[in-house]
This record gives sequence, C-alpha cells and structure tokens, in this order.
Amino acid sequence: MNIDQIKKEFPIFDEKIQNNDLVYLDSANSSQKPKVVVDRINEFYTKQFSNVGRSVHYLAVAATNLYENTRSSVQKYINAKDKNEIVFTKGATEALNLIANTLGQSYLQEGDEVLITELEHHSNYVPWHFLRKSKNIKINFAEINEEGEITVEEIEKKITPKTKLISITHLSNVTGAILPVKEITQLAHSKGIIVVVDGCQGAPHLKLDMQELDCDFYAISCHKMYGPTGLGVLYGKKKWLEELPPYQGGGGMINEVKKDRISYGELPNKYEAGTMATAQVIAFDQSIKFLESIGIENVMKHEANLVEYGQELLQKNNSVKLIGNPKNKGGVLSFTIEGVHPHDIATILDEDGVAIRAGHHCCQILHDKLNIPASARASVGIYNTKEDLDQLNESINNCKKIFNL
Amino acid sequence: MNLKELYQEIILEHGKNPRNLRKTEGFNKDAKGNNPLCGDNVHVYLKLNGQKIVEDASFEGSGCAISMASASIMTDLIKGKNEHEAKEIVEDFLGMIKENPELKSKYLSEDEKTKLMCLSGVKQYPMRVKCATLSWHTMVSAFEENTEEVKTEN
Repeated sequence: MNIDQIKKEFPIFDEKIQNNDLVYLDSANSSQKPKVVVDRINEFYTKQFSNVGRSVHYLAVAATNLYENTRSSVQKYINAKDKNEIVFTKGATEALNLIANTLGQSYLQEGDEVLITELEHHSNYVPWHFLRKSKNIKINFAEINEEGEITVEEIEKKITPKTKLISITHLSNVTGAILPVKEITQLAHSKGIIVVVDGCQGAPHLKLDMQELDCDFYAISCHKMYGPTGLGVLYGKKKWLEELPPYQGGGGMINEVKKDRISYGELPNKYEAGTMATAQVIAFDQSIKFLESIGIENVMKHEANLVEYGQELLQKNNSVKLIGNPKNKGGVLSFTIEGVHPHDIATILDEDGVAIRAGHHCCQILHDKLNIPASARASVGIYNTKEDLDQLNESINNCKKIFNL
Repeated sequence: MNLKELYQEIILEHGKNPRNLRKTEGFNKDAKGNNPLCGDNVHVYLKLNGQKIVEDASFEGSGCAISMASASIMTDLIKGKNEHEAKEIVEDFLGMIKENPELKSKYLSEDEKTKLMCLSGVKQYPMRVKCATLSWHTMVSAFEENTEEVKTEN
C-alpha cells in the first residue's frame, strides 16, 4: 500500500493552508474527501440529477437506482443480513436520536434503565437524557478504568434487573479505546438487553460485520468515513425496525393517507421521510469503493502503526501527557501539556499547518472524570504519515518554547 | 498571522499568574459566563462601595492563556472605576478587539491602554476573539445583575 499515492487522491493536500503544507490530524472530527467523492457529487448534479423514489421519468428512475445501489453497497460493506436494515439519516446524531425516540415511544417504560459509558459523545447521551426527562427512565454510566477503557466486567457490574438497553461507543473519540462490543452484546443478549452502538469512530477505522457483532443498532457518520457531510447510516435489525414506530412523518414514508387514518410504508421508506440527501447518498458509494479498494485490513494496519509511532513520540516528549493508554487503541492521540491550555496549543500548531482539535470533543462527562476542562487531540486517517506525527511533535516543541517550558 | 503578537510576554505572564483569581469577600455583584463550544468558564465578582465605585474585582474559572490574561488585566484596571466608566471601557475594549486600531476611552490611562493593547493580536485569530471577550461580557452582566449565564459571542 502506497500512502503517498493514496494521499494524492485527496485534492486538499495540493492546497497551501496559510502557506503551509497541510498536516491534517483532525479526522476523528471529520475526514478529508477523495476526489472520486467530490467528482461524483458534481457529476450527479450536472448530468443525472432528479429526486428519487417518486416520479417515473427516466432521470428519476436512474437516480433511484443509484440511491438504492449505495444502500446495497453499505449492506455489503457492514455485512448486514438484509438491505432494508440500512436506513439513511442526516447523520449519526439523527440515527441515535431516531433509536432513542422510537424506543422511547414504544419500548422503554418509566423506571427502565439505560446503561451508557463515561466515554460517550454527547450524541449518545443527550438523546437518552430526553427520555430521562419525558419518560422518567434512569441512565447509568459504566466507568472507565485507569487506561481509559471500558471492560466487559465493568458493564456486567452496572447491569441491573431493570437494564433494558446498553448504548456504547465502538471506539472512543478521546482515549481511542476500542470497546469489546461483541462480548458486551453477547452478555447483554443473554439478559435480554438491547445493544446500540455509536459507530462514528468505529466505522471509518475498523472492520464492520453486523452479523458477527450481533448488536441491535449501529450508527454511522458518513463524513468521518471519507464521505459527504449531511449523511448518516442507521443499521437496525429488521425485527426492530419493523416493530418500532416511524420517527418523522412526511412524504415518502407513507403507504396510504386518508382523513381518518394513515398507514406507513415498508422498510426502509418508513424511516426516510421527505427528500433525502440524494447527492450525498450517491456519492457515498464512492467512499465505500475507495475504502474497499484499499482494504479495511490495510487501513487498520496503517493506522495502528501510526498510533504506535505517535504514542512513542509523545511519551518521550516531556510535559506532554497522553490521555488513556488502552490495549486496543484506535487512531486517536489526546493529550495535555502542563502549563499550556489546549486552545493555545491548537492555535500555535495551526501556525505550522498542523490541524488538531482542542476542547472537550463533545465528551464533557469524560473530561470531568479526568478532572480537566479540555484536551488537545490529534487523530489520524488513511492519508497520514509518520512525517505528519514528526511535524506534530516538532510543533508541540515550538509551543513549549513560546510558553517558556 | 503572528504568534509573537498574540502571545506577548505580558499575556503569558498574566496567563500564568493571573491577578485577582479568587472570590471577592463581600461581593455585591457577580455573573457567570461560559463558552459552550470549548467548555471554558468564568465567574466575575464585583464589590461596589456606597458611591457605586468598584472597590474590588475578581474572577474564578479556567481557560486558555488569552482568556486568563484578559480577565486578569480587566479585573486589575476596573478597580476604582464606576459603572458608567467601566461600561465605556468595555465598549472601547470590544471595539478594539474587533476592528478599531486603538483605544479611545478617556477613562483609561496610557499605561492601562498599553496593557490592553497587548491583547490586540487576537484580532488576527477570529476563533480566539471569544476567549478574550468572555470575561468582559460577563462583567457587564454582573453590573446589570443578569442571572442568566453569559454565552460567548464574537
């Protein structure tokens, strides 16, 4: 695998960012886009555009086929059993809200408990909080260990007879911990508990096999997966998606509408009300093809090498403190520098063209637990190289110099 | 863009050893502010005497060097000013941080102006303007006895 060649497929790296070469270390936030994805959006709008699933004219039929092709590609990519288990949403956030909302309407009852973890992104906490307010459910938190991991034992400890649902991240966007989702699911299912997985960080970087993981729901963010913004995927087991009520009402999701009654459409239309992000869906097929052309095993190997290299580099750098040291770690390096606030780090690194994120990364619960208001985070993607991490380290040194450390 | 202009010695020094980072005893006005994007927060305390003059000003909170330095310098120079003077200084400061080349308020001494101008480097970093202005907006809120938390705005 030739990373230089892969990097060339991303037009943004031809740009000078404030006179610097771009060292993009913010892929956990959002990934850059390969040319094939950008071109596909342009091509669809210029040569093939029509709305999907409605009209019978030539363009509409062709666009509908393209749209449904992506659904099939996603199904294959994540090894879902049925094409109708793939629902497009406006993002992973909407996917998680959809699950919480529909389960809240028809499954969770007052007093039921939902178990999440201290690693969760706000989008896998706030939707459950809505149910805490509206349905009086209880939210419990599985706690991280010293390394910033969530173990199966910790999950088991927090399960009570009232636990109805476990909702967990596949890969922490702060500590990088990869959770033992398969084992947690086995445990949960043995107790009749549903499992929801926030796959925002998992989907771009790990091999996905829904039938092997066996979770009930899995939420994907397409813009973190070298795809367009405004698009997410909700995977849900067919029996759940059939049983649960619709989420939004509108065109496209109905079967029959009368003054006194309405019946809803079949899957997946039931969950795709209104005009969807058509161009994004069609372009997302190219993201999947791009990932397939590299091979997810190669992606994982490359990123594991990068993280190991980056971890060693930063561990050797005095005054840099890495957050979490999980055995199974994805491409995330979160850190603090004693005496320099993360925002100051990010501004100083930016001057060298090094793009990282600073803040709480939508994980205030975790930062409270770690007793820090914020952290700096460098995260890698398929286009990153060891040289990028060398530059990160060098810019950190410059930052220390400015702050007289 | 110039990092040296942003991180001047005086900013680094105030950021590292902020003045008035404490809670004023017997304060009679206070307000909280936060930046929901990054989680930074500040709590400003004012003690006004019978003549409505700021006898003491202080703050608690955490944030970057820019926000800490800004709150430190602000609480230092606002002492001895009345509400009207303080608010004019805030206006002047916000104007300078956003666009004005210099400070104009007659309530600021040359020395105070020089100190405040050290924060002018922020102008070139639009994403960081809110770091410099949070404590100032929060102080206005304290004067006006707003109970609602101040959210950052540029």
